[in-house]
Amino acid sequence: MTIKHESQKIAQNFYTFAVLLFLVQVVVGIIAAVQFIWPGFFILNFNTIRTLHINALVVWLLVGFMGATYYVVSEESETELWSLPLAKFQFWATVVTITAVVLGYIIMGLYPQANILVSGTQLLNEGREYIEAPRWADILIVVSVLLFLLNCSMTVFKTKKWTGIQGVLLGGLVFLALMYLPGMFYTKSMVKDQFWWWWVVHLWVEGAWEIIAGALLAFMLMKLIGAKREVVEKWMYIEVGLVMFTGILGTGHHYYWIGTPSYWLWVGGIFSSLEPLPLLVMVWDAFRTTREHRQVTNKVGLFYAVAHAIFNFVGAGLWGIIHTLPQVNKWTHGTQITTAHGHLAFYGAYVLLVMAMIYVTLPAIRGVKEFNSSRAYQSFWWLTISMVFIVLTITGAGMVQTYMERLMGLDYVAVKANYNLWFWILRAIFGVGFLVGVGIFVVDYFKLGKEPARLKSAA
Amino acid sequence: MSNKAARNLFIYGSLFFFVIFLALTFDTMGKLDKRAPEITEEVNAGKMVWHKYDCIGCHTIFGNGSYFAPDMTKTAEKKPKEYLKKFLMDPKAVNPQASMPKLGITSEEADKLIAFLGWTSKVDTNGWPPKPILATAAGVAGRELTGGQKLYQSLGCSNCHMVNGIGGTTAPELTNVGSKRDKAWLTGHFKNPSAYVPNSAMPAFGNLSEKELNDLTDYMLTLKQEVKK
Ligand code: HEC
Ligand code: HEC
Ligand code: HEM
Ligand code: HEM
Ligand SMILES: [Fe+2]
Repeated sequence: MTIKHESQKIAQNFYTFAVLLFLVQVVVGIIAAVQFIWPGFFILNFNTIRTLHINALVVWLLVGFMGATYYVVSEESETELWSLPLAKFQFWATVVTITAVVLGYIIMGLYPQANILVSGTQLLNEGREYIEAPRWADILIVVSVLLFLLNCSMTVFKTKKWTGIQGVLLGGLVFLALMYLPGMFYTKSMVKDQFWWWWVVHLWVEGAWEIIAGALLAFMLMKLIGAKREVVEKWMYIEVGLVMFTGILGTGHHYYWIGTPSYWLWVGGIFSSLEPLPLLVMVWDAFRTTREHRQVTNKVGLFYAVAHAIFNFVGAGLWGIIHTLPQVNKWTHGTQITTAHGHLAFYGAYVLLVMAMIYVTLPAIRGVKEFNSSRAYQSFWWLTISMVFIVLTITGAGMVQTYMERLMGLDYVAVKANYNLWFWILRAIFGVGFLVGVGIFVVDYFKLGKEPARLKSAA
Repeated sequence: MSNKAARNLFIYGSLFFFVIFLALTFDTMGKLDKRAPEITEEVNAGKMVWHKYDCIGCHTIFGNGSYFAPDMTKTAEKKPKEYLKKFLMDPKAVNPQASMPKLGITSEEADKLIAFLGWTSKVDTNGWPPKPILATAAGVAGRELTGGQKLYQSLGCSNCHMVNGIGGTTAPELTNVGSKRDKAWLTGHFKNPSAYVPNSAMPAFGNLSEKELNDLTDYMLTLKQEVKK
């Protein structure tokens, strides 16, 4: 298999940047985990390390989506991208912006006083979780995303092949871009600050991003197994429809305790409890499609796609629903239970999704039909087993914390430093296992298709 | 269902739910100011300091943020201002074991932060964080409390101090204080901590009556258990 359009190769630039940021994300994640045991472990304090960890995560996933989208749009429109130079420019502009933001975080971590106010906003770090990037960077990011959307839309307009997949994919991306805006203005009230902040965070991961996931899953099922477009697209509409019907009002599960009226307990409780439903349909969809067709060449691509569907449901759906009812959330809100869910959800829903897209599209980009897939399986098992154990460990820590701190009234620091110490140690150890998986994946990414294919039979 | 019907259901259904969401947002925005105290210039300045030092990178507030350090929503309710100010400006000077770094917070910035935390502690959060349900049962186990123990509870000493595993961690543990200090030191220290420990962050309890001071000191002197490490 090779690509049909030369400009699809641009996806590779984005993938490479994503893969490198993935590595950075996990290395700093391990530093953060060690700081739970030994707070003075590194020159940068925990807050800076954590900022780097979660920003690297969000950025590499977004960059991965962008690469995948350029590939898909060109493929679905059956034409070259509207402007390859623009795509290249947009790529390098993104790299430069992100590098500048990261340097800013590090400077701020070393010299907090450098985070001065410039026309009403912080210069280096906005001090808001996930959207720490300062305002000037927000604007550059928005411009970059607009250029990206322009390029993709113009490509579609070239041939006017409005397939369902690219319609939903671009729709999800437009929604994503729009939902970045509520995080871009200052409010004096911390309550309003968090209210709008959740528009960004929740409506991204439980709205826009799930729509993108639904479209990419449909694309992969079609490409990998040759499933019929009509069928795949119909289920895609149903899935992303259910995502929106439950997820939009499901935002209410973050409006229980931040100073908002109590009707959100009802709205959030009811709708967010239904959020796992579309994720379950996706799992069923993946299995049904896979069972109906058997002539699969890219087995490892399919493997990752199905694993994504399963862990999306487990991490977001199951680990989400356990603490989404207000009666439970009252006790678990802001504990390690949240961290456990955050990790498994992001891993299952989006890390595996981008990895799946890489394994589905990269062989064609590199122009190989067959490739040695043993490393891809190895890294999957290192990553997944380590992640599952990290999540079980942290779920344990969260249960101890909820019981001792929230129910018994012990001091936060006492629980963290005495009772949960072993959980922190275990997390750090499994974190190293996860890093091994990332290492194997990075090596595989750079070597894929560049070795003699004979290796395959040996594996 | 045809593909077109499924597509329309997705598009119009999403719009429908988004419109409801917007309506609820509008309603909420109208109600928020009544559920919180007025935001003075100082409170807002404190919020800016909160952002400047990225406090959310370690702490939660209203339960949202990072889970590395205690939630800040009600801190100002539990700890006196003077104490918080000393802690913010130099955590290790108050508590040698503190893991919060000295961030370079100035005296004015600390005042602003405290005003901001005072504001958040008065926001109506639908009862969050909930009162621990097992706390009142712990440690008492059917015994009658002495006068000193009652004072210890009512004066909120355990917000800062720990005795036998219960209480705060930002001030020295008192489990073994009875073998460390004598009666005169303890009584004098209650009246004026800074006279005994330079720049002490412990609030003075000079307004207590002689009997109360006596009871409290007697209780301290009973605390003579080796602290197991
Ligand atoms: C690097 C992580 C970190 C950062 C950044 C940080 N803190 Fe802390 N903070 C902690 C930890 C950990 C504790 C718990 C006590 C200890 O071990 O120091 C704490 C304790 C506190 C306390 C005392 C709580 C109590 O009940 O006695 C206050 C108040 C506080 N922090 C406020 C702030 C404010 C305001 C900021 C931002 C200006 C901030 N912290 C930034 C880690 C941090
Ligand atoms: C706002 C926090 C806070 C509160 C409330 C508080 N303390 Fe303290 N306490 C401290 C700090 C900080 C120190 C360490 C500095 C010092 O010794 O003065 C301390 C020291 C002490 C010491 C000396 C311990 C030693 O080992 O030297 C005793 C005894 C004590 N406190 C008893 C009490 C009692 C009894 C109460 C309640 C009436 C109380 N404290 C309330 C913060 C507090
Ligand atoms: C892929 C989808 C999802 C991702 C990536 C995700 C991720 C996260 C993350 C990272 C947080 C923590 C936010 C913070 O840092 O403060 C969080 C919180 C939360 N999530 Fe999800 N989530 C997803 C889906 C879901 C679903 C489907 C549900 C419910 C069924 C859910 C329920 C919750 C709840 C209740 C909280 C708040 C926890 C608290 O009170 O502290 N999530 N989610
Ligand atoms: C791809 C894998 C990973 C993903 C998707 C991920 C995601 C996240 C997210 C979303 C957060 C912030 C929200 C939260 O606390 O829930 C976070 C925090 C954190 N992560 Fe990760 N992470 C990954 C891997 C790791 C690894 C391998 C480690 C190290 C063992 C690690 C350690 C941490 C720590 C210590 C925090 C701070 C949690 C807290 O505030 O209590 N992460 N991560
Ligand atoms: Fe959510």
